[in-house]
This record gives sequence, structure tokens and C-alpha cells, in this order.
Amino acid sequence: MLNYNFNWSVIWRNWDKFLDALLLGLGMAVLSLLAGCVIGLAVAYARTSGPKWLQWLAWAYVEIIRNTPLLLLVFMCYFVLPEFGIRFLDKIESFVLTLSLYAGAYMAEVFRAGLASIPRQYVEAAKAIGMRPWQRQRWVVLPVMFRITLPAISNNLISLFKDTSLAAAIAVPELTFTARQVNANTFRVMEAWLTASALYLLASYAIALALRALERRYASIR
Amino acid sequence: MSNDRDNNADASMLRRGVLGLSAAGALGSVAGAGLGLLAPRAAMAQEATPSRLQTVLERGHLIVGTGSTNPPWHFEDETGTLVGMDIDMARLLAKGLFDDPEKVEFVLQGPDARIPSLVTEKVDIVCQFMTVTPGRAQQADFTVPYYREGVGVMMMADGDYKTFDDLKAAGSNLTLSALQNVFIEDWAHKELPEARVDQFESPDAALQALNARRVDGYFGDQSAIRWLMQQAPGRYVDSGRGWLPNSYASAVKQGDPTWLNWVNTVYREAMLGVDFDSFAASYQKWFGITLETPKVGFPSEFA
Repeated sequence: MLNYNFNWSVIWRNWDKFLDALLLGLGMAVLSLLAGCVIGLAVAYARTSGPKWLQWLAWAYVEIIRNTPLLLLVFMCYFVLPEFGIRFLDKIESFVLTLSLYAGAYMAEVFRAGLASIPRQYVEAAKAIGMRPWQRQRWVVLPVMFRITLPAISNNLISLFKDTSLAAAIAVPELTFTARQVNANTFRVMEAWLTASALYLLASYAIALALRALERRYASIR
Repeated sequence: MSNDRDNNADASMLRRGVLGLSAAGALGSVAGAGLGLLAPRAAMAQEATPSRLQTVLERGHLIVGTGSTNPPWHFEDETGTLVGMDIDMARLLAKGLFDDPEKVEFVLQGPDARIPSLVTEKVDIVCQFMTVTPGRAQQADFTVPYYREGVGVMMMADGDYKTFDDLKAAGSNLTLSALQNVFIEDWAHKELPEARVDQFESPDAALQALNARRVDGYFGDQSAIRWLMQQAPGRYVDSGRGWLPNSYASAVKQGDPTWLNWVNTVYREAMLGVDFDSFAASYQKWFGITLETPKVGFPSEFA
């Protein structure tokens, strides 16, 4: 058996901190996902139907972000940009910006695949009934693409939520930071990390369930 | 903050638990000690043990316990050589023993090994930024201290805040960076009660937060601040205020007054006597502090 005496009172005493941290993490993940979707959609269109230079630019963005560890990007945005005089963002904003750019690169790939998988007949049918190009996008391509990519979007949201743990490195008081703080202050290592793990697990699972319900409702088009 | 302090808090918490339990046992052991004094054999054994001073002289080199990861105390320079204030103190002892500062063998150890390595006689002395505490003094004999550590704040030289009064006036607008540690926020709040403290996982991240002007000041050990200022002259300024004083000293195994007294003599004379020049050079090198020559012509007590 484990030779350790648990003392959970430390957790109850800091419970409001843990809750605030959880909400902050969820908030940062959702914001980043929304911003990431906008960026991703723009980049996916740029890559599939933009002029050559824009395609190249979109490709470079996706590859640079996807092939750099997120922690480095976080450090870069928080620690390095200010050295060049760019310091209008505080630590939370700077992290959300980084996570949005990161999410954007992944969503770009998701949407690119989504756009590519739309049956050609749908677009041709839309043309046949006289829809203009933007109408075809608005009423045919986008709705279908969102339904196709919904499972991938929910996957990304869960990933992003867990990625918010990296914000601890720049002193953002999210769940990992809070657990470490409680550790440092009370030496209650097991209790703090078990609580953080349980909260991550529960929140991620709740997101998964909610999005599963959404998928069941909308992703049935095929 | 150095690991040292971390360890401190850790140790004292443990001790607190132990004290309660051992109070009952104390009476018994006092009685036992009394009986021991009456027994002649114990006294003879004590006389027969030669001082470590003799052992070291016969061995031909000094064995010193220290670390290698804490500038400016004990760390490796660009060439991989162990240097720092603690190392200088050890070399001063070797010079006193063998007239050769090179006759030292350094045993690298973590802060938690400082007292155990003395008790088990793995080393002759520990020179490893050791904070003097009453609890530790029950387990090892401390020498006279050679540095008084404390905490302070360092700012960018071209930043918004120039003096400690500026920091104080900033109130809750002030953000400091620090290494994540127990009590760190309370320590900062002792002098700057409203300051926000952003805690980072590593000292370099805490420093970079200042470089990137994410924070207004770096909150840490005075010695670290002086060292960082030495490394980048003109880049940073010290707020000029230090608090939470604690003394750094070497420690030796208990029960050897001859050895302890010899080390104390060397340290005292380094600070006030024949070896002052070399001690002052070390202070200048590691902390950028110019020590004033001790007042000549009086007993040191009057200086």
C-alpha cells in the first residue's frame, strides 16, 4: 500500500482557486478555438483557392506553427516579442494569442481536408440552380464542411484545453500553475496533482460528451 | 531564492513534527548523559581522538563538500572550473593548511547532503551557502559567517522605477517576478505589501520576465542580484533595500573544537586580518562590493 497520509483539507481550502483556474483554462481554450476557426478557415481558403503567393504564405504559416513546440511559441510571444517593443498584451492575452495561432494552423488543415472532401456534385448542383459563388459557399460548401469536420473540431477543443497547462510557464494562474502553487505552499504533492488531474479529466470528458451530442445532431448529413 | 531556503522551510517543518514526539524522550536522555559523564571510559575515548586538523595535515589535502550549480557561490565557469565565493573560502583554508590553495578536493553534493556528509565524515568541512539556523546548529558546528544573505528587488536601469521608494509608491501597480517557492509571496509582501508576484518555474524565466519588461522587478536573493548585475554592467539597478537577513557560514562536524577554532581563525583573519586583501578581492569579484579596509590600530572590537 501507499505509505502516504492524505490530507484533503488543503484542497478544500484552495477550492475556489482550483475552480477559478479551471474556468480560466476552459475560457482560454474556447476563445482560442473560436479565433483558431476563423484563422483556420481563412488559411484553408487561401491554400485551396488563393493566388500563388498567398498559397505559399498559408503553407509557411501552417508548417512553421505545426512543427514548433507550443511551449516555445508561448515563450516567444511572452518573452521575446517585448524585446522588440511589442508588449501591448498581458500574460493571459499573450497566451490566448499564441494558442489561437497554434489552433489556427491545425484548424487550417482540418478545414482544408473538409473542403477537399465535399462531393463535387454538391457544388455543381448549386451552380445548376443558379447560385452565385458566395452563395454556393454560404449555403452549400460551409455547412457541409462544418458537419464533416465537427468531430475534428471537438478533438481540437479537448487538445487545446489540455494545452492551456503550458500557460503555467508564464505564470498564468490556470490549473497546472495552481496545483504547483498549492504544492509549493503546502508540500501536499499527491493531493494537488490528483485534484488537478481529476479536474482535467472531468472537464475534458464533459467537453467530449457535449460535442458528441452536437455531432449526433448535425454530423448525420452523410 | 536559493535551494537553501527551500530546504530550510522543509527541514523546519519536519523538525516541528519531530519536536513534539521527542520532548518526552529528552528527560530520559538527559539522565543518560549524566550517567555517561560519570563513566571514566568515555572521557578517555574523547582524549584519544585526534583533531581533524591533524588528520587533514597528515592527509596532505582538504576535502570540502560543496555544490556546482549556484552562482556566485559554487558553479562551473566557461572552462568547467569550479569557482565562486564558497570555493574561494575553501581555497583560503587550503592556503592556511598547506600554503597551497590548490590542495583541495571538492565533493559535489546537493544541499540536503550538507549535514549528513559531515556526520558520516565524508568531508572535512562544508562550504555550500549554508544558512545558519538554531536547528541546524544542533546537528553541526557552524563557523563564523562570511556573508549575510537577504532578499531584494532588481529593476531595469532604464525602467520606470529607480529606487525602493518608487516601488513602494507604485502599490498594487507593481508586479515582481520570482522563482516559485513556498512563502515567496509573503516574503515580498513584508516590504511591498501590495505588489503582485508572478512566480516562474526557473530563475532564468523569472529574469527574462524582467528583461522583457513583463514585470517591474526581479525579486530574489541579494547575492544573486549582485551577481546578475556584475554579469551585465549598467543593465540593471538594485532597489537598494534588502530584507530577511540570514547568515551564510561553513559547518564542521560537532565535537572537534580544535578544528572549528582553526577554521574560525582563518575566516576571521580573512575578514579582518592578514588575508583581508584576498577576501576583499573575492567580494569584489562575486558581488561587486568593495569592502573597506578594517580600521588599523585598534583591537578589532573597536573598529
